[in-house]
Amino acid sequence: MRKILVLFKREYLTAVKTKSFIISLILVPIIMAGSFITFMIMDNNQDTTDKNFVVIDHSGIVAAHLEEQAELRNENAIFDPETGEKVQPAYILEFTDADMSDPSGQLAELSDRIRAKELHAVIEIGKDVLHPGDSTEEDYIRYYSETGFMDNVRGWFTNTINNHLRQLRVEELNLDPEVNRTLFAWTNIEAMGLAEIDKKTGETKEAERSNELQSFLIPYAMVILMFMMTLMSAVPLLSSVMEEKSEKIAEVLLGNVTPFEFMAGKVLGGVGVGLTVAAVYVGGAVITVSRLGVGDVIPMGLLPWFFVYLLLYILMVGSGMAALGATCNDNKDVQSIQFPAMLPVIFPMFVIVPIISNPAGTFATTLALIPPFTPTVMMIRMATPVTIPVWQPILGLLLVLLFTVFSIWVGARIFRTAILVQGQKPSIGNLFKYAFRS
Amino acid sequence: MNIIEIEDVTKRFGSVVAVNTLSLNVPKGSIYGFIGPNGSGKTTTIRMIMKIFYPDGGTIKINGKPHDGRRLNNVGYLPEDRGLYKKMKVHDVLMFHGELGGGSDLKNKIAYWLDLLDLSDYASKKVETLSKGMRQKLQFIATVMNEPELIILDEPFSGLDPVNAEILRESILNLQKKGSTIIFSTHDMSMAEKMCDNIFMIYKGEKVLDGTLNEIQDQYGADTMVVQSTGGEAILQGIQGIEKINNFGKLQEIRLRPEANPQQIIGEILKKTEVQKFEITKPSLNDIFIRIAAPERKEVNHA
Repeated sequence: MRKILVLFKREYLTAVKTKSFIISLILVPIIMAGSFITFMIMDNNQDTTDKNFVVIDHSGIVAAHLEEQAELRNENAIFDPETGEKVQPAYILEFTDADMSDPSGQLAELSDRIRAKELHAVIEIGKDVLHPGDSTEEDYIRYYSETGFMDNVRGWFTNTINNHLRQLRVEELNLDPEVNRTLFAWTNIEAMGLAEIDKKTGETKEAERSNELQSFLIPYAMVILMFMMTLMSAVPLLSSVMEEKSEKIAEVLLGNVTPFEFMAGKVLGGVGVGLTVAAVYVGGAVITVSRLGVGDVIPMGLLPWFFVYLLLYILMVGSGMAALGATCNDNKDVQSIQFPAMLPVIFPMFVIVPIISNPAGTFATTLALIPPFTPTVMMIRMATPVTIPVWQPILGLLLVLLFTVFSIWVGARIFRTAILVQGQKPSIGNLFKYAFRS
Repeated sequence: MNIIEIEDVTKRFGSVVAVNTLSLNVPKGSIYGFIGPNGSGKTTTIRMIMKIFYPDGGTIKINGKPHDGRRLNNVGYLPEDRGLYKKMKVHDVLMFHGELGGGSDLKNKIAYWLDLLDLSDYASKKVETLSKGMRQKLQFIATVMNEPELIILDEPFSGLDPVNAEILRESILNLQKKGSTIIFSTHDMSMAEKMCDNIFMIYKGEKVLDGTLNEIQDQYGADTMVVQSTGGEAILQGIQGIEKINNFGKLQEIRLRPEANPQQIIGEILKKTEVQKFEITKPSLNDIFIRIAAPERKEVNHA
């Protein structure tokens, strides 16, 4: 145990005392926060340059309304009511008749104007748009632009034109104006959390409106944090063990320590690094949110689970990486094995969204009970507001514990043989031989 | 009292027998030299003593105790393939190895050894800035700084210049004086002759020599003549009774046939040239090594 501690101390101090560690410790949250803030700023700060449009109205019933609505919008809706600052672009509409002799040529000409940035888009309204489906193909509304699919402006035209068309259709029915007023009222469904009774006080805690932060950002942040910790602590063991082997440091150490002690010292060093980073980030997050007065966004009840799962995750991945590192002779070997070795760690990152969308579904539940994926997938599920049956995180933990013991055992067997074998490639056959036959 | 007792030890790697039914006793307090050509089984034997390899058969006892799977305490081991953490500072590397070896009063020991091997100025330098010879000395310090009871050095002199080799030699002798038992493997036969109380030679996995230098030389008798003459090697050609000539340039070492008469041979030489030096002696360790390891290839210049 003493020797493991000496190795752990060296491994841990070597890792945390490097400049790159300190820089990445500081830079990662800055980059993450920075990209989040940039996204928020970009999202709020829209392009306020006025946008020009050409409208070709074959129906003859939309153009006037569009012009009126655009003017109304340009007068009222594009300025911040408090500061008077312009926050939205003005929409300047130009109406033109359809060139029936050469419609394609007209469209091509207008498209050139869009390419030349004179226009933002061209809106073409079909002749039969008021009564679609009446056996003609002239009931379309088309929006020609360079970014047609992604363009937010399209939404304004869709709503304005359709509202007007509905209005016209209702008018044809000669309904009471009072009925007319509420006919198109649209009510959004509010997403709410669940109500609960406080066990201590017995008071009922009302359901709160669920938000993006709770349902997406918190689970997302937790799993990204866990992923990063593993990248910073367990994955580097692959190349560091390879270096110790190729630099012949391993043989010197093996005169003093058993291969198991050697591997244990290294993996525990990785665990130490991971937990240090996690403690800094989680601690920093807790302090920050409580200073900001929004302390309850961090699910405190989950933190013990987070740290236990993280600890086992680093042990599991770390022992695998150390064992694989022992089978590598040079950087080439490491490069060839790194991606397949990291696949089980990376895979949950690809399925975050489906898991967050349906954390209690069969896919998420099954994945959460497959040990290499359990720590990350179970954390995502637990961090969402959806209730997960209590037995699942406990079973997951037991499975991870068993799998971690298994990977340390296999890892140690591979390590003890491979660390002294020179010139053998880290093939599956060799790994199997080292693990089970020697 | 023996510190190491090896009995009928065999080690195979697949179909290759690296060490075959080897038995060897290393007395406490001795300096034991392991010699043998490359790939003959020296390092495998050493690794088995260090418990890095497990023998397929036989027993190895250290201080009377057989293997129990744990690493040996109080043993210093300098492997043939050795490396240090390049990014660590010299002092930190020694502290790390000292702690691993369970030593105490490490700061003073480190200062003492760095001073002894003339490395004090490099204590706060990174290992990667040291020359090869300096690293070799640093590794030696890391191995012996706790003055372990048993010190195993695999090729400790390889790559060292004569000055540093001499410093290392003195340090090893001092460690012996302080009570350590030292095993070292080497290809430097003159160093082995000068330093070792006992010499063990392994060839193709088999023990071929084991004993003091005198005992080993006695096995071969006084069948060697050293001649320094004006005519050099050329005049020795064709003289009856000479089995082999080792030509060292200015000096020739002649191995005689068993039936040869040295007096007759010197008479023949004197007829042909002027002799500056003439000596009948036991074969050198180097010659014995070559006789065992390369009998066919080296046998040249028959009369």
